[in-house]
This record gives sequence, C-alpha cells and structure tokens, in this order.
Amino acid sequence: MVAKQTRYVIIGASAAGMAAAETIRKLDSKGSITALSKEQDMPYFRPMIPFMITGKKKFSEMMLIGQGPYQNANINVRLNSTVEAVHTTDQTISIKSGEELPYDKLLIATGSRPHIPPIAGIEAEGVFALRTLSDARAMALRAERTKHAVMLGGGLLNLKTAFALLERGLEVTLIIQSPEVLSQLMEPNDTTLIRDTLIRAGLRMITGCSASRILSDANGVNGVLLDDGREVVCQMVCIGKGVRPNVDFLSQSSIRVDQGVVVDRFTACNALNVFAAGDVAVTFDSTTGERIVTGLWTNAVEMGHCAGRNMAGQPTEYTGTLGILNATQVADVPFVSMGIVHTSGTDYETYVASAPKAYRKLVFTPDGAKLVGALFVGDISRAGLYRYLIREGRAVKGIKSFIIRRQLHYGHILKETI
Amino acid sequence: MSQPKEIFVRLDRCVGCHTCNIACTVEHSKSKNLFESISEHPTPKNRVYVEWVPTDHKVPVLCRHCEDAPCMHACISGAISRTEEGVVITNSHKCIGCWTCVMVCPYGVIGRHLETHKAYRCDRCPDLKTPACVDACPTQALVYRTVEAFSGDVRQDAARKMISEERR
Repeated sequence: MVAKQTRYVIIGASAAGMAAAETIRKLDSKGSITALSKEQDMPYFRPMIPFMITGKKKFSEMMLIGQGPYQNANINVRLNSTVEAVHTTDQTISIKSGEELPYDKLLIATGSRPHIPPIAGIEAEGVFALRTLSDARAMALRAERTKHAVMLGGGLLNLKTAFALLERGLEVTLIIQSPEVLSQLMEPNDTTLIRDTLIRAGLRMITGCSASRILSDANGVNGVLLDDGREVVCQMVCIGKGVRPNVDFLSQSSIRVDQGVVVDRFTACNALNVFAAGDVAVTFDSTTGERIVTGLWTNAVEMGHCAGRNMAGQPTEYTGTLGILNATQVADVPFVSMGIVHTSGTDYETYVASAPKAYRKLVFTPDGAKLVGALFVGDISRAGLYRYLIREGRAVKGIKSFIIRRQLHYGHILKETI
Repeated sequence: MSQPKEIFVRLDRCVGCHTCNIACTVEHSKSKNLFESISEHPTPKNRVYVEWVPTDHKVPVLCRHCEDAPCMHACISGAISRTEEGVVITNSHKCIGCWTCVMVCPYGVIGRHLETHKAYRCDRCPDLKTPACVDACPTQALVYRTVEAFSGDVRQDAARKMISEERR
C-alpha cells in the first residue's frame, strides 16, 4: 500500500507560513504544500519594503523563495487567494473565488494588518499604512507629487518609512502622542541618542499631539488638523499605530480567537489538524509568561518553524518569545531592545550607563538573579549573548558584573557552564 | 558522502597569542599581505575572537555555523544561507545592516563593519584548504577536522588519560 500524501495548506505566504513550509518540506518530501497569499506578489521579505519607496532595491531583490534558507522546498504558492472561511469538521477552506480546498493539516499564518485609528477623513487618497509591497508601490507613486509627508505614530515602521521618504527628498514631520519616539521599545530617557540622530537627519517632530482630522481635496490629502488646533499642510499621511491580527475570516468557524488565534504549547488550535503561527497567533512571553501577540518577522519565522514540525508529525513545544526583540539602525545609530526594558515605577534592578555615543540599560529581576531585559543604543556588539541569557532565564551568578559593564563574551558563558 | 570539516577549539591548548586574529584578518584582506592590509579600505576584519576569562583562561570563539542557525532564520533580507559544505555565509550584497543576526547570535561572533554597513563572520576561508586561523595556530588549539575524526581524538585522549591514571 502506498502511504497517502499529506495535504498541507497554509493560509498566508509570509514569514510564518513560508518558514513552516520550508520545515515541513525537510521532514516530509512527498506531501503537497499549498501556501495561499491574498497579495499579488510572490512571497517577499516584508521588512524590506521601505526600499521600494527609496527605489534602492528592486522587487527581485526582496523575493523570499530561493534566498537564505528558503530553497528548493517545492511549495505551491497561490497568489490573489483570499481565504473566506475555515470548515473544521470537513477539513476544507473556502477561497474567495468560490473554490473549496481540502486539507489534512492547516496552518493559519495570516499575519496582521495595520491598526487604523478612527480619525475623521482617514479614507482620503494619499493616506497610507505601509504593510504590503502594493502599499509601498502606491506610496512611491504618491511621493512623486508630495512635498511634505506627515507620519502619525513614532514606532519603528514609521521611522523606517520616514527615512525612506527623507531619502527621496521629502520633508517629513512625525506626530507622536507619547513624549518620545519608539515608546514601545524604550522609555523616554533612553531615546536621547536616537532623537538627536532623527533631528540631525532633518526629521521634524511634534510630540504630545495627535491628529484629530485629515483634510483633503480633489487631489487627496492636503493637511492634518492636530488636537491642539494646529494645521499641518501635507500631501501624504502615513499611519504607524501598530498592527492587529488578521482573524476576521475565522468568525464563523469553531477556531478559538482571543485577539489572535489561540494555540497550545504545540502551536495547535482547538480544532483538530489546525495550527497557527506568526503575528496572527497568541503566544506568550518567555520571561513574563504573559500572553502576547507580537508583530515581528523573527518571531514569526521561529514560530512557523515550530508549527511546521508539529504539522509534519514531529511534536515540538514552542518555548515562547520575547515581546520586545528588535534590532535596527536609525540613521547612523544602531540599537537593540530585548525583553523587559520599561522599568519606571517597577522593582526591577536596573543599570543604566550613558556615554556620548552609546547608551545601555540592563534589567534584572528584582532579586537581581536573572537578566530579563537589555537595551543597547550606539554599540550593539554581542547583543545575542544577552538575548540568550534573557531567553534562557538562567541565574547570572558570577557573570553579572560583566553583564552590567557590558563586557560579556562567550568565554564567560562557557566557563559558567562547565 | 564525506563529512565536511569544521573548526574545533581545544581550550587547553590556547595560550592567547592572537596569531589566529592576524592570520584571519590578512586572509580577509584584498592584498592578503599583512603590511598592505593595514592601510586597506574597507578595513579587513578579523572573525575569530580570543576571549579571556579570569583567572586565566583563553577562549577562542568563532562562528559555529550552527545546524539550526538562528542568524539565518532571523535574517530579514535573505542574506544568510548555508553552502553545500555546511558553512553559513552572509552575502554582503544582500545584507542591509539591520543587525538582526547580531541580536540573535548566541555566540556573539557576528561583527558589524561600520565602513561598509554590513555584517561579517567566519566564512571558513573558502579559498583555502585549511582555514587561515587553523593554519596559523602555533599550538594547534584550533583544528580543522570532521566531527567524526575530532570526537575520535577526544575519545582516544580520554582513554589514554584513564589508562595512565590506572597505572599510577
């Protein structure tokens, strides 16, 4: 008897979905893997889309399949395929075209979409929330007739977009409600170096303010009215107010949703043979144990791998992640933020050191026994060692002084272990 | 299939002379010559680190080319891949300098080249039969062997020690 081919169906062909597909293929050479994308483009490295705005990279340079670990997985990627429903009893999904597709193992990896706050006039032409390559293309087109762009929100996405627009020669104003940028990744006092570099780069900032109305005429957006009565003239608005899991299509199904898709420690949903990974899944923070929904490429890939193993019949426990796990460079200032970094008003044992070109903050449990968070600005070398310690939740004992002075190297960890 | 060779570190033999650092840097220069490489731009970079742990241990550390390489999976631009020989390499043309690999490497062995804005690490010297650091190591603290051969050596060493202790 010939063993039946397993039909793996993956909804969403980005980080989590493609990572899962790649893992499944390693463990099951025969099964069919179908990844459905509602986008019109073949899978790509989503964090690279700001390069579409600057024009520094072509689409072919952002494509996922054939690059890095994504090789020879023989995945059937179907584009323009929006999934409208999942029928868990007969194990099928409905695609917008009317087609019903059966599955033996299903992965929900639909990711997230930008959160659009209810601001009057937000549907005007020229208002963007950068998420997909199509968004980036549309933005690049609009940028051609834009002199001034306003960014609502001071998160990483908006900063990256802002730099892409600055590079194109636009004037850019950032409007943020919080007192400082990157409030999700650091505290106001931690941002000095980054703020300086933003200002040097020519970015204008208005803090403690939000948009109360977006103004437009026949040519689309032409201004933003702020809640303090000020009016900022602009031809483009970018919204960076976080993301929300794409779960709407599950409303009629029996799959449990609480913000995101709820999964157990083995990335499985409450319905048989259905798994979830990436931005759409509710996961947990390995340091705090808190349930979280993250919007990070790295996390999505990691969880996708885990789900892939579980789907291919190799039970693998997902060990959680860090809710904050970001590395990037803002102009000439690199930074890494990991684990618990918001410490004001808490009992965490915190060490801060500030120098003209480098800033660091190391956060330990209140009893000082374990490292739970690290923020490095300016000098991020060997950040992975600190992430390892945070992730493992190991008592730091003899190496604590090296951690605080940021002198830790692998030799210390090795000698602590043996 | 013949097993690929790896660089192994024998901690008990490292005297901390840093010869490996120089050999590595020179091999990763354009001129491949110590004197010329000093003035090259971009500055050639060393990819093997000799760390010091009190009381007096020297620990050479370099990319392990992990089987489940966190850097490769975390890379947001597809710049990191594995060669047929099992070497994890960073394609600097594709690297966008986001430093995600630096954030996830548990060994802390991925460097940032500030002049080129690219990440770099040990590439096991693709042009050489034996990696430069191994070739240069005067005490053979660094060895280039297959896993099988190296673990065989370790077993034999252990057996020898046990026998000599029994004879005592």
